[in-house]
Amino acid sequence: MLLNSVIIVLREVLEAALLMSVFLASARFLQIRNRWVVAAIIAGLVGASVYGSALDPVSELFDGVGQEVVNAFLQFGAFALLVLIVFQIPRRVRNLHNSAAMIVSLMALTVAMAITREGAEILVYISGFWSMSDFFSAVAIGSVIGACIGFSVGVLIYYLLLAQPLKHALPTSVLLLHLIGAGMASQATRLLIQADWISTSGAVWDSSHILSEQSLAGQLLYALIGYEASPSLVEVIAYTGSLLLLAAAFVAGKLTSPTITEVSD
Amino acid sequence: MKTAARATISGSLAILILSLLAGQAFAGPPEFEIEIRNHLFQPDTLTIPANTKVKLIIYNRDPTPEEFESYELNREKVILGGRKAIVFIGPLEPGEYPFFGEFNPQTALGSIVVVAKNDAAE
Repeated sequence: MLLNSVIIVLREVLEAALLMSVFLASARFLQIRNRWVVAAIIAGLVGASVYGSALDPVSELFDGVGQEVVNAFLQFGAFALLVLIVFQIPRRVRNLHNSAAMIVSLMALTVAMAITREGAEILVYISGFWSMSDFFSAVAIGSVIGACIGFSVGVLIYYLLLAQPLKHALPTSVLLLHLIGAGMASQATRLLIQADWISTSGAVWDSSHILSEQSLAGQLLYALIGYEASPSLVEVIAYTGSLLLLAAAFVAGKLTSPTITEVSD
Repeated sequence: MKTAARATISGSLAILILSLLAGQAFAGPPEFEIEIRNHLFQPDTLTIPANTKVKLIIYNRDPTPEEFESYELNREKVILGGRKAIVFIGPLEPGEYPFFGEFNPQTALGSIVVVAKNDAAE
């Protein structure tokens, strides 16, 4: 029971923690203060408790696929916000008087949405054991351990990024944001396939014998780049398309940057 | 003779297209049901036809929530206690696709067995 709770909570926390750590590192490189993250976490926890307690009516929506539709909406929403963030980053690099407030609000909203989705599932899981005092302490302890491991991985990624030479650090972070965003878009697509809103044929390939999604590396890659051992064609197209869209947003941000006014302060 | 053959071909084509459309509109994907009781799937093995989209209805008869999850099927869905969930799967190649209840993975285990359509009919 304890180990099981560790794994469940770790899997959910990992995605939000990775997103947060890349955001926090990027903000540091862009000379933006990171006080926003506290508000984002609180907003996310409020969102998670609202969504978690409304899961019953939500599940009934759209002929019983409301859960998929809402989760897909949250994932696509977070992806859209990432596109805007990736667009703003080069503008901020060109001119440090630019877009700090915009980037902060976009990052905070993205993190809040991620925590809402992941947190709701954790709450539903834990609430199932609420009345069972025999199991509850094991589940609670396991959940705390899982959350701590997830956050530790996030902290590790954050410091790994900060340890990079400045020349590589921001490009690496932006690349990670591309991969995280594409992962979100393909996950959202898969949810709509599960809901039968999108039709698809069978898997394009199966790499589960090389790298299983259940393995630790598989889980980490799932959170980081949306790794999927047997994706359908629609998911592959969604992944590639969203990567290209993010890259286009980055280039557009670079090209449309206001004239360089190198004011150092 | 030629025109007659052509008429027959186009006629049968029309019927084929119409029947395909009708099948799409009225039949919907075949439905299969699974229950969760005492953190066990019943039945724990479900046989479905190959290359066909299938509507899976999972009833959670336990008071506690469960998450239907399968890495092989690329599906995951939370089912609250006493509720049912709809999950669409497939079209799939023949083979065995394990699934489990993520909240009770020691006991809630099962698998979808996909068989070629001719075998399924037997």
